[in-house]
Amino acid sequence: MATLNYSRIRRTGRWVDVRRRKLGMWAYALNRITGIGLVVYLYLHLGVLSMLAHGQSSWDSFTALARSPFYLALDVILLAIILIHGLNGIRVALTGFDIGVRVQKRLFVILMLIAAAALVVAAAKIFAV
Amino acid sequence: MDNPFAKEPKATTAWLWQVFTGIGLVILLGMHFIANHFIARGGLRDFADVVAYLRNPIVLVLELLFLLFVTTHALLGVRAILLDLGFSGRAEKRLSRLLTGVGVLTVGYGVWLTWIIIH
Repeated sequence: MATLNYSRIRRTGRWVDVRRRKLGMWAYALNRITGIGLVVYLYLHLGVLSMLAHGQSSWDSFTALARSPFYLALDVILLAIILIHGLNGIRVALTGFDIGVRVQKRLFVILMLIAAAALVVAAAKIFAV
Repeated sequence: MDNPFAKEPKATTAWLWQVFTGIGLVILLGMHFIANHFIARGGLRDFADVVAYLRNPIVLVLELLFLLFVTTHALLGVRAILLDLGFSGRAEKRLSRLLTGVGVLTVGYGVWLTWIIIH
């Protein structure tokens, strides 16, 4: 029968609580939280795409709705999550291979600044369409 | 600065796959996003455009590869988070089998949906 180690759950579940933690722990928690968000979005996205199987009217009425400012704002939030997870993920992979461990704090800050800059450009483009 | 990953066990095959699919996703997701939301007129393709887009064999291969990579990466991530909860060895194997099943169903659904759209 499957068993769970509850003391370990309490110990390992602490990654969610980043209060009074160093930047490295914030980056670690951020990677996991954005990852969970993207898994949820993946299945929502696949659900939305099922409208394509119902034919032209179903899909085209959805795309009309998806061009509204509310949905465009959701697109910007999604893009922010993708950029944070993707760029932070590159740092996680590098440090996992013992590359850039000493500069990982600086690397995280630089990558998040790149994410912010890319998001501003992409958001302007999203709302311009 | 301390390496928070130093206390982690040695890289596992699952972790290496997650890195590999992650690198692939940076490219494939970038292409998917640009093609579907920045190049497409109005930021989204209408039904006829989607069908024409997916009937391009290069696009079809890249989109299916994207589905495979994103599903693998996502479910390996879910597995890593759940394994932190302290499953026993036997439960860990069951979890891996369950997530493999979810992955196969997800990719299978995506392939089926693509088939329906292009036909």
